[in-house]
Amino acid sequence: MEPPIYYSRAEFIETDTGNKVSRRATIAGPQNIILGGKTIISSGAIIRGDLRRSGPGHAVVISLGRYCVVGEGCVMRPPYKTYRGAFNYYPMKVGDFVHIGAGSVVEAATIGNHVVIGRNCIIGKFTIIKDCAKIADNTVIPPNTVIPALSLFAGSPGHFIEDLPESTQDIVEIQTKQVCRVSSYSTLPFLIECHA
Amino acid sequence: MAPNVLYHCPCLSASSVPPPPHLASSSYSFHPLHTLFFCEECDAVRCNRCVSVEVSGYYCPNCLFEVPSASVRAEKNRCARNCFMCPNCRNTLSVVPSDPPDADDGRLSAPISTVGEPPFFLYCNHCRWDSSEVGITFEKPTGLASQLQKLEDSAPDSLEFDRLKEHFEPIIRASSLSSSSSAAPSTSHSHHHSNPITAAASAALARDIPGVAKYTPHARSGRPSGKDRSANKDEMLEYKSRLTISHASAYGSGGGEVDVDFMRRLEDVSEVASLEQRWNYSWSTSLETRDLKPLRIPLHSKRSKRCPACTHILIKPEQKAQSVRYKIKLVAANYLPAITVALPHQVEMMGHISAEAAKRSAKAPVDDDKDTKGLQAGKTYPFHMALTNPLYDPIQVRLSVQRMHVTAATSSGEGGTTEKTRRPPFAISIPTTPFSIAPFAEAWEYEDDEEMFGLDDDELEARLSGREKEVKSKSKTVGVLEKRANVTVVGGEVALGKEARGEVKFNMLVAYTYRSDDPAPSEGHDVSPSKKAVPETKTFAFYTIVDLGNIIPKEDPRIDSYDV
Repeated sequence: MEPPIYYSRAEFIETDTGNKVSRRATIAGPQNIILGGKTIISSGAIIRGDLRRSGPGHAVVISLGRYCVVGEGCVMRPPYKTYRGAFNYYPMKVGDFVHIGAGSVVEAATIGNHVVIGRNCIIGKFTIIKDCAKIADNTVIPPNTVIPALSLFAGSPGHFIEDLPESTQDIVEIQTKQVCRVSSYSTLPFLIECHA
Repeated sequence: MAPNVLYHCPCLSASSVPPPPHLASSSYSFHPLHTLFFCEECDAVRCNRCVSVEVSGYYCPNCLFEVPSASVRAEKNRCARNCFMCPNCRNTLSVVPSDPPDADDGRLSAPISTVGEPPFFLYCNHCRWDSSEVGITFEKPTGLASQLQKLEDSAPDSLEFDRLKEHFEPIIRASSLSSSSSAAPSTSHSHHHSNPITAAASAALARDIPGVAKYTPHARSGRPSGKDRSANKDEMLEYKSRLTISHASAYGSGGGEVDVDFMRRLEDVSEVASLEQRWNYSWSTSLETRDLKPLRIPLHSKRSKRCPACTHILIKPEQKAQSVRYKIKLVAANYLPAITVALPHQVEMMGHISAEAAKRSAKAPVDDDKDTKGLQAGKTYPFHMALTNPLYDPIQVRLSVQRMHVTAATSSGEGGTTEKTRRPPFAISIPTTPFSIAPFAEAWEYEDDEEMFGLDDDELEARLSGREKEVKSKSKTVGVLEKRANVTVVGGEVALGKEARGEVKFNMLVAYTYRSDDPAPSEGHDVSPSKKAVPETKTFAFYTIVDLGNIIPKEDPRIDSYDV
């Protein structure tokens, strides 16, 4: 019953595992990025795989799980800090069924499964987001924040608002799957529904 | 707001008929399906308002450390490790070392130790508050709570609290003794919490405030013996606080002359701590922002939920704090058909917008608030309802609209006029004959739906210019429109009156019949072939409220150009 979301087939590159990456997305250092499969990278997204840990050899900078959606104009870049006098980037790991709304900037260290991040959010450096958490639109999460499982965060700085219902995992799974199957890239029907 | 469907929870009330949608109480008795539970024993829907909740574990939301319940009480429900909250913005504070001493050559020297230089202090990453402002520094960066313990223990609020505990302890002990002797398990889940402490409190209230007595359950029950008992237990000494409130301002708790003085010298409004900043404290604090102290982070809990009627467990989380799995999870979404509602002209519209966006290929931010969703007065609109069957058996569903003019009396003449004013300004027609929904099958989950909405450029063009395949045959709007997998789409129609305004909302009764599993269908007993023809069936009915959106009044200048 959700309105179909159309996209231009010419705009997306589809990989063997069903990932769809917009030609208008900026993917820096693709050899350091892992996409789990059926993941969508929307147009205008910037993924900085080039900001890798110094040192020789291969390094995974950003890994995304299955059925993730990276919204339009999102920026995903690995967190960095100076530790013992040495500046370094640290890898970012994102689980399955993670939805990142349009225009958000993500510098988290870890994002669990079934996490929904709204539009225009800022997720500070080294943030840890546990499973099934939700970040409302326009939230600013300061660096080093920990967001427990099944909690809704909103505001600037982001605060705990409420516990999410027990069935959050199922809802998010169904909805992201729908989006990924239908291949959305602009309006995300389930976000509208969640905020209704 | 998009059209939506909410489900009714009777919350143990006697009548299972929900209030009509124009009453304010309506919005309190309807909930989204995914927040509801289902009790198999009672065969009833339960919501978060009516379930009884038990804490099954505590954890700190910042360090995610699980706290045993014994230390929860000792630590006053707060994290006893390194977690502190910024008093200014409620963000989590981090421990930072002091700046290392500058080397002579002006470059940063390599840090001496891995943890940095003492003294350490708490620092807020968001508002840049730091604890040295209020004179709190630490010798080492670990075990901060224990380092602060001494300071906290001597604070007036904790001293006062200890005194209160001391005062009430004998009374609690006495009452717990008597209640354990007279403990009747049947009263434990009665709705009035009539344990001896609340009884004593209500008796005290009844004594001190004239007129309250008649509202307390004890007075109403009118048993003199019960009254005597509670009066007996009520024999508590008057509590004398450690500090009298008139002198409290001397201890930095604000109030009185100190505040007046402060206000007189006030230059910037941010010097005054906001209410939000101050009411996290258990004690009245100074008005000044610069006196705010960091707070230990309050613990969160994992909760299990029980049916209020039969006390069967509906939700039981796994022990591990950050696990999102449940040992028991009886949610309504696994029992009741999920219903979504849509107005086809809006769906068409959304599809149009998204096709347009894909065409332009700019990062077109689709404006959700664009008023395409209005319903114009005096018109008739079709709407679609998709029902999804979560059960492994096929179900038969029957829908009916609840009549809304239930209040008005129809017998007398003036009754008729009031009824007229109350009648909703729209008429709903939905299919009334039962229809079936196919069972849910796991296989559909994995079916690779290659029915993508990817369009090549010329297709996009076609969609935009012509919208060739015009709205399906106008002939059939009411009835079953589509059946696929475990989803059945039915169509309805809403006819809006000329003077209609407000929201199009109506209550709908959904009754569904399913094959019951209770008498296990045993295939071996096919001795009498006449009996096996009748499978056991059960019917469950529940109310929903369907909200189709707002009506745009006729005189409204906005014109919905995409009207179908």
